[in-house]
Amino acid sequence: MTVSSATRATVVATPRGRRRRSSFTAYSWSSLLYVAPALLFFGVFVIYPICISVQTSFYEYDGLTVATPVGAANYVAVFTDPALREALLHSLVLLFFYAVLPVVIGLGLAGLLSRIRIYGLTFFRAVLFIPQVLSSVVVAVAWRGILASDGPLNSVMQAVGLGSFATSWLGDFDTALPAVGGIGTWVQYGLCMVLFLGGIVGIDRSLYEAARLDGAGAIREFRAITLPALRPQISIALILCITFALRNFDIIWNTTRGGPGTSTAVPSVYIYQDAFQNRALGQASAMAVVLTLLILVIVGIVQFALRERSDVPRAARRSGGVR
Amino acid sequence: MRIPTRSTPVRRLALAGLVGVTVVALAGCAAPGAGGGSDAAEQEDIAEQVTADQVADLGDITLTMWADQAEEPLMDLLVPAYEEAYPNVTVDITYKSFDDLIATVVNAANSANAPDLFQGNIGYAVDGALVKAGLVRPLDDVADVYGWNEGTGASTLAPSKWNDDATTFGDGTLYGMSPISEVQGIYYNTSKLEALGLDAPASIDDLEAALPVAAASGETPIMLGNADQYAGTHIFSDIAATTQDPADIRAWIGGDPDQSFVTDGNVEAAETMAEWADAGYFGDGYDGLGNEDAIARFADGDGVFFVGGSWNGASLNAAEFGFGALASGGVGATASPWHISSSSENAIASIAFLEMLHSPETGQWILDTGRLPVITDGVTAGDELQQQTLDALTATIDAGTQVGYYDWTTTDMLTVMGGGLQEVMAGRSSADDFVETVQAAWADGHGSE
Repeated sequence: MTVSSATRATVVATPRGRRRRSSFTAYSWSSLLYVAPALLFFGVFVIYPICISVQTSFYEYDGLTVATPVGAANYVAVFTDPALREALLHSLVLLFFYAVLPVVIGLGLAGLLSRIRIYGLTFFRAVLFIPQVLSSVVVAVAWRGILASDGPLNSVMQAVGLGSFATSWLGDFDTALPAVGGIGTWVQYGLCMVLFLGGIVGIDRSLYEAARLDGAGAIREFRAITLPALRPQISIALILCITFALRNFDIIWNTTRGGPGTSTAVPSVYIYQDAFQNRALGQASAMAVVLTLLILVIVGIVQFALRERSDVPRAARRSGGVR
Repeated sequence: MRIPTRSTPVRRLALAGLVGVTVVALAGCAAPGAGGGSDAAEQEDIAEQVTADQVADLGDITLTMWADQAEEPLMDLLVPAYEEAYPNVTVDITYKSFDDLIATVVNAANSANAPDLFQGNIGYAVDGALVKAGLVRPLDDVADVYGWNEGTGASTLAPSKWNDDATTFGDGTLYGMSPISEVQGIYYNTSKLEALGLDAPASIDDLEAALPVAAASGETPIMLGNADQYAGTHIFSDIAATTQDPADIRAWIGGDPDQSFVTDGNVEAAETMAEWADAGYFGDGYDGLGNEDAIARFADGDGVFFVGGSWNGASLNAAEFGFGALASGGVGATASPWHISSSSENAIASIAFLEMLHSPETGQWILDTGRLPVITDGVTAGDELQQQTLDALTATIDAGTQVGYYDWTTTDMLTVMGGGLQEVMAGRSSADDFVETVQAAWADGHGSE
């Protein structure tokens, strides 16, 4: 989706936008020609594989011999497997670490970076964004070292007298899930921050001046102007982070493989195992379809909850003017 | 920015298109797996040894292969020798990491341009799938002609033999051959053992007596990296092979329906693991340490013992470490077997390659490149550690206690058993629950075949 054109659509007065859309419908068939190459690509490499997955989910299939149709049995298995229920629960815990925390940290950092004049701001912004750029395998290997029982984290803890809390973070049944979650927070907060910084740049400076004239402090300013104006960015950040959290595989696979025991197993670990190790492609497809629907539902709820209810600048001005 | 509202005409059109494409795609497709894939070429049994003239009659050909990355040093020696003996053949090998190989080789074998020769992996996940789908050439004629069924390597062919439905292995038609063997056992740090006044352990009892001594001195008794979940199962199998008849374990691994994992011996072995973990014999944080990291630390002088196998030997300096088998005769297995594609047009050239792999000369090269050959006759070890490993291997093969690996049993056994053992060692589940869970996964895997 192109952010810039959508932004422009908001600026353009609604009636004109409507007229433009209706004329678009009239010419839609010739317009379709323009998007045909992209649509073809999308169809072959996205839609078609999705359809195959859906179809495969109704079969028992080893990837080699002819599949046998099994009706909804694979789906029944998805909903009755206690291991999968446990995995879903782990995913919900990870939602907090992979989505909620990064958004909160991102908001805090964006608020700070946009207020304080720092020399080399671009540099800091780039550095804080690095986790997002690194390959997740690299991230996983690095953190495996950091979180090891004789790793830097425990050394620091021992140095400051917290040695009794030091443990093998990824190897302990109680700490493995939060530890893996922490890695996700580290990966995602940079993306959130950059999104929010971009949003803050777009806020009319005069709103802040007005608020300051009215005697608003930093926190009040943030709550009354920045936060409401960032609603669309928060929505996008949450959608990206939630999707990342629920389909997260590479970080977990490269740090704990779902262990110790099954304490960090998430649905995508089971999907991988069924598809590539157990050769149970039908079962894996059913799980993947359910996971996709779950992601769509949760993302839909977030989108609905954070939809724009009124014109942002006016709302900001109104609350900014209180006092 | 504004997220556009959902029900504009464009969106509806797109949605309708999407639904349409879906319906067409679903209706137009037959069941997955119907059609496509590779076509089996005409495969003739050989009655006599393949000659260079026969291979020369094939004209200028390229033999394509897929192999484990670990085979590269050996192949660098073998391939030039092969190309010299059969000058009209060019060998083209694609190397993959072991994980990549076993994840992709079955699909590659099923593709229209399958490699002529490739390595699979013993057990249901790879070899079982290959045999069931008829993707690999039976090798009984080759074994007969070249006498593979006699001599030291004969028993190591068993895990590549499958029954007609590909439901059990260990006996039946031969489909693969591995020139490389592995033996499990224990590595010890020679100078630390001396400092502690201990002898090299020759049995589990010896080890059990040595562990508290090592722990009391402040050393980590056994260096274990169990984050990948499999290192623990190696220790378990070493113990389990002494608490019951190894032949029963081998039968269970091969899929014998009369066998069960719920045995007193397995419960005892799991309880021993839990006791050792509880006593701190594996140190702290072993579940957070990768196996590769653990062997690196052990090589650096951390820990008194390391329970692993011959594949770890290459990481260790022969002057500082020793090796011994714990079970009587030791526990071991053969490495990934080589298969000839059933769609290969050049089966004769492939057979010539396999025979060269199986020769005593290659056996020496295998030892020289840090592995163990199945043909141990006439090979000489380069150092003391290699000799100890080779002795353990010959003892294993002689005693017939090469039980194989538990994860051959079902495709998910590595996870079930590895994860379950982690729970037992952490005191979160009982040894009884563990053996029941493993047996349930085994029954599940074999019932659905």
